[in-house]
Amino acid sequence: MTDDLDFCAREPIRIPGSIQPHGCILVVDPDDGRVLQASANAASFLGIPSEDWPAAVAALLAEDDMAEGHRPWTVAGQAFQVAVHRTAQGAIVEFEEAGGGPALSLDALHPRLRRFIDRIDPMVEIAEIAAATAVEVRALTGFNRVLVYRFDDDLHGTVVAEDGDGVLPSYLDLRFPASDIPAQARQLYLTNRLRIIPDAGYQPVPIEPAASPLDGAPLDLGACGLRSVSPVHLEYMRNMGTGASMSLSLVVDGRLWGLVSCHHADPRRIAPPIRAACDFLGRIVSHQIGARERSRMATRRIALKRIESGLLVELARAPSLPGGLFANAADWMRLTGAAGAAVLFEGEVVAAGQAPPADTIRRLAAWIRQEGRGPVFVTDQSGHDLVEMEPHAGTAAGIVAVSISGIHDDAMFWFRPEVVRTVQWAGDRRKAEPGSDGRIHPRHSFDQWRELLRGRALPWSEAEIESARDVRNAIVDFVLRRAEERAALTEELQRTNKELESFSYSVSHDLRAPFRHIVGYAELLRQKEAGLDEKSRHYIGSIVDSALSAGRLVDDLLRFSHLGRASLSMTRVDMTKLAAEVRRAVEHDEPGRAIEWRIGRLPPAWGDAGLLRQALLNLVGNAAKYSRARDPAVIEIDGRELGNEVEYSVRDNGVGFDMAYVGKLFGVFQRLHRAEEFEGTGIGLALAKRIVDRHGGRIDAEGTLDRGATFRFALPARGKEDGVGGP
Amino acid sequence: MADLRPILLVEDNPRDLELTLAALAKCNLANEIVVTRDGAEALDYLHCRNGFAGRDPGDPAVVLLDLKLPKVDGLEVLEHVKHDPERRRIPVVMLTSSREERDLVRSYELGVNAFVVKPVNFNEFHEAIQDLGMFWAILNEPPPLPRRGS
Repeated sequence: MTDDLDFCAREPIRIPGSIQPHGCILVVDPDDGRVLQASANAASFLGIPSEDWPAAVAALLAEDDMAEGHRPWTVAGQAFQVAVHRTAQGAIVEFEEAGGGPALSLDALHPRLRRFIDRIDPMVEIAEIAAATAVEVRALTGFNRVLVYRFDDDLHGTVVAEDGDGVLPSYLDLRFPASDIPAQARQLYLTNRLRIIPDAGYQPVPIEPAASPLDGAPLDLGACGLRSVSPVHLEYMRNMGTGASMSLSLVVDGRLWGLVSCHHADPRRIAPPIRAACDFLGRIVSHQIGARERSRMATRRIALKRIESGLLVELARAPSLPGGLFANAADWMRLTGAAGAAVLFEGEVVAAGQAPPADTIRRLAAWIRQEGRGPVFVTDQSGHDLVEMEPHAGTAAGIVAVSISGIHDDAMFWFRPEVVRTVQWAGDRRKAEPGSDGRIHPRHSFDQWRELLRGRALPWSEAEIESARDVRNAIVDFVLRRAEERAALTEELQRTNKELESFSYSVSHDLRAPFRHIVGYAELLRQKEAGLDEKSRHYIGSIVDSALSAGRLVDDLLRFSHLGRASLSMTRVDMTKLAAEVRRAVEHDEPGRAIEWRIGRLPPAWGDAGLLRQALLNLVGNAAKYSRARDPAVIEIDGRELGNEVEYSVRDNGVGFDMAYVGKLFGVFQRLHRAEEFEGTGIGLALAKRIVDRHGGRIDAEGTLDRGATFRFALPARGKEDGVGGP
Repeated sequence: MADLRPILLVEDNPRDLELTLAALAKCNLANEIVVTRDGAEALDYLHCRNGFAGRDPGDPAVVLLDLKLPKVDGLEVLEHVKHDPERRRIPVVMLTSSREERDLVRSYELGVNAFVVKPVNFNEFHEAIQDLGMFWAILNEPPPLPRRGS
């Protein structure tokens, strides 16, 4: 889009070197009363020759009154309205004729203004105040049309109120592009709140000499009401069909909120007292608007704050941040008036309401972080900021994102869907209009032009953004506190682990020894006393068996506790070879058994060879043990690849188990059979499960009483993060 | 065949001591078995000092060293022996109740010659002790006796 008036931004509008002809200026050295510069029309306008000028203004400048604004002044018997601006380049004295337009004294205007203030005081809606303002300004000034503009965040202006007599067309609800008012003109609107052009067809009057004798620079007319305006602006006015214009700035909290813009088909002068009244009125309206905006924001803030504190209470109770947010999704979204919300926390995305897919949220978070758009990122047209978001306008045209981590992409999001809007522009703002003379001219067409605005959400209010920011701070605290708690817990766990470790160490040492002694002495006794009777030999045998199994238990327990802390040495494991080894070991332990082995194709695994051998040995050992009554016992070992994992199964035709107890199978010391039927410590399956868990795999079992059991365990295939590819 | 040097058995637990001696007796070893009850005493023996000041000089054929000992523990005795240039050739067999891997690792780091976890099963224990006794006392060819001054 071409901003056709862009070049205005470079135009020296504060120092045009000329003034409008409805007045004249003198620039006076305040020290010696010397006239430094004057507009070319000064002699004729004032009706006295230049040598009399110092005397005419001497008394004026001597007055202590430093107030800005016009006051009556008589020069050579003729009444003028004068204003003095004291600048570094001298005191600029503006003269205007006293008459012209409806002449009203400020005293006469006072009751009017009071009535107006009384009228707008109880108004709640800003639109009402704007409408009343348009009517009042038109009544004061008699312009054909008075508009009230409001600027949006993009600095486009929308006509929110209008009062007119039908001579000029209505512009109500139309939008004027930001480019119609260049940036530096906006700046001037802040310092110089009332501007008037009584005749758009005027001939500018030059200032002589052009450069200030004090500093050699062109005269700065920034504060001067008579300042000549840009020819482009005059052309713009003529194109718009207006012969005279006046505008009042509406300034709220130091920001240009809008304008009261007055137009007349023909040239029109407005006397200084009326202008002063309008200026006063503009300031009153500005304050009233500011007060309404602030009170509306405060109301919204209080409402949001209430939601926020409720949500934070819930979050503090929640076991996890995402869980707490999700459980309170309605408040979470109401916090910013969003239709959807999401949180990216420790790599996981949890979303509520209308939200884009998790991957998009992750990429968005990464983008915000990489582009340094945090910690609070706000947009109402996300597709414009990040092309990737364009297809998600339906859910996330508007985004508020707050980062909740200093290191990670972790962030919280609120989304608003696209709201397709029709905007009526005053003229097709896409049309640049280069003139035949090569200069760029302002647009001629002020015909309505409709534009369909897509990809935009309703903008987020200050209060909503602030609410997001507040909850961010609270959550950062929350996350930090959780991290601290976790650190404390980890410390506690480490301490407990250390204690357990030394405990298991002494168990291994001090508990194994007495068992060894019991067995040793019992054996010595048995050897020494050759003539023991049957019963005594049975007793000794029982002592030995009991002590042996207690010793085995200690060994198993120690092995089990080791598993929690020992680091895995991961390699590619040839499971076919491993199964053959395990088979040999089991056959060695169960000599003379008739076992029919069915070992299928076993894909290689990725894991700790020693531990995997232990796990498989426990499963196959179990299979052999519980199929002891079968002839033949059948043990099947099989494997298969399942996407990202490799699964192995060990099946037997033994005594099986009741599926009702499947949950107990892998617990430490859980046994499903009577001890005298099958020996063992009850740790074997727990050990196997722990080994599989340590590998990030899963294990389960299936059994039918008296028909056999199947144990399956799956291990993750070697992940990409290992960098070498699959096994 | 090497001359019959004594076997130094360092064991504080009287029952373990008794069972070990019983097992060694079964091997019919001719070697003298010297028993010390803690690490400090073992070091005294090795250095021919204090209670062992008058003993016949010469290193033992093997030290059967329990890992957990009062005063100076087995690992410290091992470290001492293996860091002593005059004694580091003495074979040291660590006997332990512990299945703790770190003890094994530490022992090998210190240069242990063998590491035996005492089996609970007496027959196995018996076999282990016999094997050790036979191997270190009889089969293993010790390094030649260093010629020591005085």
